[in-house]
Order: sequence, then C-alpha cells, then structure tokens
Amino acid sequence: MSIQEALDALRTDAPARVAAAADLEQLAAVEVETVGKRSVIAEGRRGLGAAPETDRKDLGRAINEVAIELESLIAIRRAELEQAAHAEALASDTVDVTLPGRAPKRGTIHIIQQALDEVVDIFVAMGYTVATGPEAETEYYNFTALNFPPAHPTRLEADTLYLDYGDVPEEILLRTHTPPMQARYMEEHDPPVYLVVPGRTYRSDPLDPTHSPVFHQVEGLAVDTDITFGDLKGVLEHFAREFLGSEAKVKFIPHYFPFTEPSAEMHVWHNGDWMELLGCGMVNPAVFEAVGYDPDEVTGFAFGMGADRLAMARHGITDLRHLFDPDLRSMEQYR
Amino acid sequence: MKPTLNWLGDFIDLPTSDPEEIATALDSLGFKVESWERIQHRFSDVVIGRVLEVSPHPNADKVRLTKVDVGGEVLDIVCGAWNFGEGAVVPVAVPGAVLRGDFTIGERAIRGVTSYGMICSEQELELGEDATGIMVLDGDYPDAANRIGQPFESLLPVGDVVFDIEITSNRPDAMSVYGIARELAAYYDVPLRQPDFPLDVYNDEATTTVTILDEVACPRFVGREVHGITVGTSPHRMRARLIAAGVRPINNVVDASNYAMIEFGHPTHAFDRDRLGDTIVVRRAVDGEEVVTLDGVTRTLQTTDIVVADAKRPVAIAGIMGGADTEVSDDTDSALIEAAYWEPPSVLLTSKRFDLRSEASARFERGIDPEACRHAADRVAELLAANAGATIGGVVDSYPAPPTPAVIELPMSEIVRLLGVTVESAQATDLLTRLGFAVEGSDPLTVTVPTRRPDVGRPADLVEEIARLYGFENIPGRLRMGNGQGLPVAERRLRKLRSVMVGAGYHEALNFSFIGTADLDRLGLPDGDAARNAIRVVNPLREEEGVMRTTMLPGLLRAASLNVSRRIEDIQIFEIGKVFLPGSGKLPDQPDRLGFVAAGVRTAGWDRPDSGYDVYDATGLWETIAAAMDLPEPAVQPVQRAPFHPGRAAAVTIDGDIVGTVGEVDPAVASAMGLDGRVIAGEIDVAPLVIDRGPWVFSVPSQYPPQIFDLAFEVGEEVPAAKILDAINDTAGDLLERLEVFDVYAGESLGEGRKSIAVNLTLRAPDRTLSDEETAPLRRSIVAAVESATGGELRGSL
Repeated sequence: MSIQEALDALRTDAPARVAAAADLEQLAAVEVETVGKRSVIAEGRRGLGAAPETDRKDLGRAINEVAIELESLIAIRRAELEQAAHAEALASDTVDVTLPGRAPKRGTIHIIQQALDEVVDIFVAMGYTVATGPEAETEYYNFTALNFPPAHPTRLEADTLYLDYGDVPEEILLRTHTPPMQARYMEEHDPPVYLVVPGRTYRSDPLDPTHSPVFHQVEGLAVDTDITFGDLKGVLEHFAREFLGSEAKVKFIPHYFPFTEPSAEMHVWHNGDWMELLGCGMVNPAVFEAVGYDPDEVTGFAFGMGADRLAMARHGITDLRHLFDPDLRSMEQYR
Repeated sequence: MKPTLNWLGDFIDLPTSDPEEIATALDSLGFKVESWERIQHRFSDVVIGRVLEVSPHPNADKVRLTKVDVGGEVLDIVCGAWNFGEGAVVPVAVPGAVLRGDFTIGERAIRGVTSYGMICSEQELELGEDATGIMVLDGDYPDAANRIGQPFESLLPVGDVVFDIEITSNRPDAMSVYGIARELAAYYDVPLRQPDFPLDVYNDEATTTVTILDEVACPRFVGREVHGITVGTSPHRMRARLIAAGVRPINNVVDASNYAMIEFGHPTHAFDRDRLGDTIVVRRAVDGEEVVTLDGVTRTLQTTDIVVADAKRPVAIAGIMGGADTEVSDDTDSALIEAAYWEPPSVLLTSKRFDLRSEASARFERGIDPEACRHAADRVAELLAANAGATIGGVVDSYPAPPTPAVIELPMSEIVRLLGVTVESAQATDLLTRLGFAVEGSDPLTVTVPTRRPDVGRPADLVEEIARLYGFENIPGRLRMGNGQGLPVAERRLRKLRSVMVGAGYHEALNFSFIGTADLDRLGLPDGDAARNAIRVVNPLREEEGVMRTTMLPGLLRAASLNVSRRIEDIQIFEIGKVFLPGSGKLPDQPDRLGFVAAGVRTAGWDRPDSGYDVYDATGLWETIAAAMDLPEPAVQPVQRAPFHPGRAAAVTIDGDIVGTVGEVDPAVASAMGLDGRVIAGEIDVAPLVIDRGPWVFSVPSQYPPQIFDLAFEVGEEVPAAKILDAINDTAGDLLERLEVFDVYAGESLGEGRKSIAVNLTLRAPDRTLSDEETAPLRRSIVAAVESATGGELRGSL
C-alpha cells in the first residue's frame, strides 16, 4: 500500500475512531495511532526525502492536510471529553446549598449610638462641628451659667444626682442635660459657633418604661451675628425631614427653659399623634453674658433632644428598659 | 392645672366649645395640654323624684319605707338613709337604672318589703365622696323641685371638659383657672370678666394687728377676719370642680381656701381666730424653735425659716404649713384668712428641708402676685359667707414693700433681630396689651410688666410674649448653614473603633455608669487597687448604684452573666463609655474606656466543632484594633492584675506605654458571676486609640519574588515568644515582609522544660530578586540574634 493509499485509508477511518474515544485515555491512544510517531503521517513525513522530487510537494501537502484535519478533530474531541469530565467531577461534588452557611460573626452598634451618630451627621452636613463634655459636671455649668435662678423649683425639677467629690457639698453633680457644654464651648471659642454635643445625661428617675437614670441627648448651638428664630425653625425642620423622612410634619409650641428665650418645643406628627421631639429656643442673653459674649453683638439658637426616644420611636420600642438590658437577643436586632 | 371648660366660662366667653380647638390654642400659648377629658356620668335612668311619704319598716329599724313621686308614677322604695324627710327632692334610680357603669338596679325585697328602685347618695352617683346620706337636691339645685320626673343629669353641667395642662415653672400667674382664662382671652382677643364680688365693702376695724419684721421675706401680709362660721359640706358644684381639678373636698372652710387657690392662684391659710393672739408677727424663726404643724409633726426651725407668730409662739411655717393648735376645726367660729406674699427662695429651701411641698408651696416657690393678696383673702371670705354662713369682718393689710413693676424698653429692631420677622409697633403694642402689659411709645416701646409676671425682665422676654401671640407658625423658617468645621478626627476615629469591634463580632451595650461597691468586691480587687477608689453618689437610687464606675468590667461581666442565665450561648459584648476616677482637678477624671467581654460557646456551624474563647482571642482582638487604628508599636506583655487570670492576661502597649489589659478573667471571678469556662475580657483607654495620628503613608508592594522559609527554635519553656519575634524583627530590618508563628510544641522529644517555636519568614526586596547568596548572612545573623536573646538554639540547620 502506497503512502497515498495509507493516507486515504487513515482519512476515511480515523474520524470515526476519534469520535469513538470514550475518554481522554482512549483519545490519547487514538492520537498516538493516528498522528503519533509511528503513524502513517509520521512515516510519510520521514519518507518524503526519498520520494521522487516531482511528487514530493504534493505528497507533503497531502500529509499535512490529513495531519491538520486529524489533529483538530482530536483537539475538538479532547475539549468535549474534558468538558464532560469536568461536568461529571462537579456533579459528584454537589452539596445541599440550603444548609446554613458559615456567616462571619457580625456585631452591632447600639441603636442609641446609631441615633446619636445619625443626628450628628445631619448637622455635620449642615456645617456643624462636634464636641463632647464631662458627665460629672459642676453645679455652675449645669445650672448657674445656664440662667437657672438660684433656689428655684426648676433646679429641683432636674432631679439631680450629686457626687461626693471635692469640698463643697452639691457642687459636683452628674449633668442633668447636655447644655452645660454650650457654656464650656463658648468660653473656649469665639463666635461664630455651630456645634452639636452628643452625650450621656443623668437624673434621679428610677428605671421604668419611660424613664431611666441614664439617658442620652444631643445638644445643638448656633451663634452668629444674625441668627433668628426663623433660622431655628428652618434648621430644625430640615433636621426632622432628614431624620424622619421628607414628609415629616412639625410644629413649634412655646415652652420654658431658663437658658433660652423665646423657648419652644418641636413636635412631630408620628404614628398618628404629635410627639415631642426636642426642646429649643433663642439663647438667653444671660447665658451670653455668663460666657463673655456680648448679647448685643450676637444672637443664637440652641436645641436638645433625647436620643433614646428617637431610637425608640423609629424602631417601635415602647419600653425604655429594653435599651439598657444587654440581652443579645435585643442587641442582635440592632441592624 | 386642671381647669374645666365650665369653670373657665366664669371668666371668659370662649368663641368655641370644641375641646380640641381650645387645646390647640393653649398649646400655641405655651400651655401644653397633656390630655383633655369629657366628664362622663356613669349612670342611666336616674330621675328627679319627690319623697311623698316616709314610714317605718315593719321588720327593720335601720331602714324606712318611702313613697317617691318620679313623675306620673309613685314608687315604693326602701331606704337606709335618714337625712331627709317628706318633701325632699332626691335622685332616684328607677328599676332598670345602671349605676357606676355596670350595676343594675332592679326590684328587690328588703326584709319582706319590695323596693322599686333606690334613692341615691353622691357616692353612688360618683359625684362626690359623701356616702353618709342620700343626695338631697336643695339649695345647690334650686330648679330641681320643678323638674320631678326629668333625668337627674339635666341638673348637672352638660359635657363639662377637664383639661390637664402643664404649667412651666416660670408661669406662676397661670397656675389658676383665672390665669388660664386670661391667656385664652388674649389669644382670642375677647374680654376677660373681672372677678365679680364686692372687694371693698367689708372694711371693718380688724381685731388683729400684723407686724412684719422681715420685709424681704414677706413684703405683704393680708388678714381677713370672718365670724360665725358653720363648718359643713361645700355645695355640690364647688366640690365637683375641686374633684375635677384633682383636689379632695374636705369641708366648706378648707374647700373655700382650695377653691380660691385653684381659681385665682393665690394660696391662703385659715387660722382659728379664737386660738390666735391679737398681735401677729412675721419673722425669722429662732434656731431650735419648735412648731407642731397640721400633720401633727413637731418641726424644729432654724433662722432661714420664716414663721407667722403671735406674741407667744409660731403659728405657721410661712407658705408651707399652719400650726396644729390654731387649726380650724368643726367648732371654729371665727377665722383669720391669711393671704401673704412669701419670698420664693425661703419657701423653697424650707419646704425642701421638711419635704413638705404642696400646691401652695409650689405657687409661692415660683412667685405669686403680691398685688393679689387682698383679693385672695376676700375671695375666701366671700365663699365662707356664701357656703358657711359666715359674716365678713375686718381686714388687716400690712404692705410695707409694694413691688415696683418692671419697666422695659423694647426697641422694635429687637423683635426682627430675634425672630426674623418684622412686627409693626402697633401690632406689638396690641399683643402686649392683650396680655396685660402697659405699653407706651412706638419705638422703643416702653412696657410696664404686671407684678404677676416675675418671669419677664428683659427685652427678649417681651419678644417671647409677642412671638407667642403672633404665632410661632407665622414665623417663616430659613435653612441656615453653619461654618463647616465638620466631624473632628477623634470623633471619626471613635466611630471607626466601634466598627472594628462590630466587625470582630461584638455587640455594643450601654450599661449604667454607676455600680455598687459589691461589684468591685466581686472582681477580687486587692485593697488599695485604684479601681476601688470609687466616687460615691450622694443620693443614689439604689445601693447597687451607689458609686461611679471605675472600670467597665462589672457592667460587662454582668451583661455576660445575664445572657448566660437566659440560655444564650455565644456572648460577645463591648461598651465604650466613661469611668470616673478621683483626679487633681475640680472635676473627677473621666476618661473614655473600651471594654469587652466574650464567653460561652463560639458556635462554628453544623459541620465544624464549636470552641470557646481564650486569651489569644483577646490579644488577637488587640492586634486587629492596633492594625485598624494604625497604632505605633503595638505590643503586649504579661501582666498580673485582678480580675484577670494571672497567667493568661496581657498589658497592651502603644509605643511602650501601657494603655489597657486584655485576657482571661480569673475563673473564680467568672464563676462567682455565673460564668463557666474561659471568659475573656479587656479594658483599654480610648484616647490613645482615637487621637489624630495623621494619615498613614502607602508603601508600594514589591513586584519581586520573595524568599520564604521556616525557622524553629528550641528554647526554655519560660522564654516568651515575643523575645524570638523581637529579635527577628530587629535583625531582619526592611527586608522582612511577613513573620508568622506557625507552631509551638513541647513534648518528650525535647525534654523537660523545653519547647519549640517555629516561625515562617517572608523576605522580599523592593527593587530586586533576593538571591540565596545575598540572604545567607542575614539568615545567620537572625538565628544568632534569636539564640543570643533566648539562650535557645535553632532546630535543624539553615
């Protein structure tokens, strides 16, 4: 059988053998037989030098054509077989993906802290800065500098917890609210002031569904040459919309705080009722005088709100005690 | 304050009777309505009847038989009350009537006689507390006799509404029905009816004289005498109003004083004139002087207390409580009605000292109107004349120090400066005038403040008055931006610290800042430990909250223990907050601390074994914190410090400074708190973690291949790994990219007291491929450094 005949036979016969290879091993054997070193193709190539010069070129082309055809058939078949083998390997590696996954441990930030941070962020976005102050505070900053009249029921109403510290009785107390930091900050900084103060505050109220001896407030203060009650309203309305949604409805009603005049409460419409959200007012000139600001030169507004209540209102918590009960089943909910 | 709509109606014709509208008006005036309630009668089928006949019961002594005309029908009713006779007009519950909402009256036999209904007492109708007899509809209800058979409720005020109003402490003038009416009159711009009783007709010579020795404490003292009092019950209407206002009716004398106080805001006190001397002195008490007050308690006075005295002894603690031996009693005939102005701070201090705060002291403490004293005393006298058959006698009015009303200049520019809206001077004048201020001029306004308004002393106070009536809702808002200083770096880093803890699986708790000294005992702190030096709360709510925390650990361990007791298995909790430590300044030192605790079972899932927490979780957490917060030279060193396990705790350092402790809790401490197994905890100062350390600087990762190799050293078991790691770090220099401990082994093959620590090093140069030739000397010096630092030796060869 001439080389040409052998090539023709191979060309006729080999595709079926390639196709019949059932796995990569069989395919490798077919590959050796058809295009390997002992194959007709290799033999033909080796014999080319001995072929008559006139035939050599045609014969060479014929060999190459068959070789390329078979090699590509083998490559295609190999890819098929590899694909199938891979699919089979994956199929046998199947697991029940509905079993619980290995979730990385995830902690939570307390919702009061989240509320504090969120309030702070809204004001920072409006160009305010942040400061915090001491929780054990002097009677002077907690009351006197804030224009609380001496020996007045307002001081008693604060239900103050006092500390046994220093030489003067009832001088050091646990701050009953955050405005002491207004006075401290103004003493240290010249106007203008745009400040929020998040922090912990204390009253001698036993823990019950709506009271806690420890609670949290955010205080705010804006002092400049031309701050008006209109600014107070605009800024706090903006805050309410940012915190509670753009539909939030608010109203301001007059109230009394010794350190602001006029004073107001801002109420928001929440769950079908008006809820008191914060207290606010124009800084009382007496406070400016106490910190060394000239009340004829500057005006300002201040506000304060309870972060605990903000958190409760938003998350449907009706009993304050849950916030101070470190039960992980509660804390894990603090998304 | 709890005025009723009806009572307000004595002084003002409101343009609406809708309680919701009135509540809104009060809110916008600054008198927050906590709630309002329509007074409902919880009875039905009670009619006005007339007793036609009264006869004895054949089988019983204590009850009588009556025939009662209930309008077109005469009922036989058995009645146990004796305070009426034939002809009396009474409320009758006819068969089928319901009392108190659910008690049905039927026909029933009483000792063999059928009773068709019931004649009612006040108590049965819930109109008062009087259950001693039936309610006779006499003088209080003059029209009742003409309405036999009509529903009884037709005699009662229809649908009266009681408002519960919060009065802020700056507004003593509004602590009365009249005061509220005055505000509403200003709001609606309608007339306020002046109290209608003859003030000046009874000016007989008084039999009492008054001398005021302290004009600051008592600038005015009015005494009105009344004679011929018959102590008894007050009229129904008066008692109903008192009940609505939250005041319990007592008798017509006490009720008159209370009624006048609720009505006009000025407290009064009635002395039994016959038990009182003729000369009244108002003075400071003598130290140690005693008085027995109405409540029967002997009070020891001091010089800061003001007393009303006669020639012999104190008869009242001014503004707070009268004396027992001059108290009005059932046989009192004549009384002296005191209406005085007491200086607020004295009343406050004394009432606070005796813990005797009352409706009266609450008003004096805030400052009532000295101008109203005479009026108040006369109003009580008039009520006694009307309700107790008294005749009004003489008056003594000592008024040595009439107040000068404040006069304030209000430039019109101040209004726009504070409010941001321009109010015309005519409008400002109108608003202030409606509130009772006297206004002159146009700019500035010269404003005279009524003496009842001690809260108004500055232009800003007048601006508030104008704003209240102008309406806060009419002042447009303006969104005013600040000057943009933003969140300080330390605050931002504090938030990052929190997120690091959250990323490590810890949940944030907020524990109270107070603990009990027993909590410190439970930590097993040695005597003299700084954490034992806790600052005491003077007036703690509970003994368990008696001191300020000096450490975060008690709260955290309690939190862990609480979760264990609730069968929660995997516990990781942290807290950031202040501790309170004695310091050198005026205030205690109040550093922020990060505390954490982890305990229980660390669940790994359904296909891997659970584990617990141990010291390496604590030190590992520190490493994570240090890396995230970019702390310079973070390190740990062994430490023995309660309440930590002495062999499993580390002091954590930054640049060599100790900033906290982490590790396992002493098992004895843990188990005393109900915590089994290993419990880890830590407490670290926050300030050095969050201070601004500037931005970190990027280092370009090398693109060249590394040399990675292991070294194992055999050392004495007491040698800390840190010695090996430090020696390698110090020697390898900049080429050292990574250094890990991958094995620690102690076993028989090494011999007693020996251990092996194996490390994996990655060396890499930024600019070239390292060759074995280049690093061989470095490897040798690393080994030499470790051997020299530890006294150990390399296992195997380089």
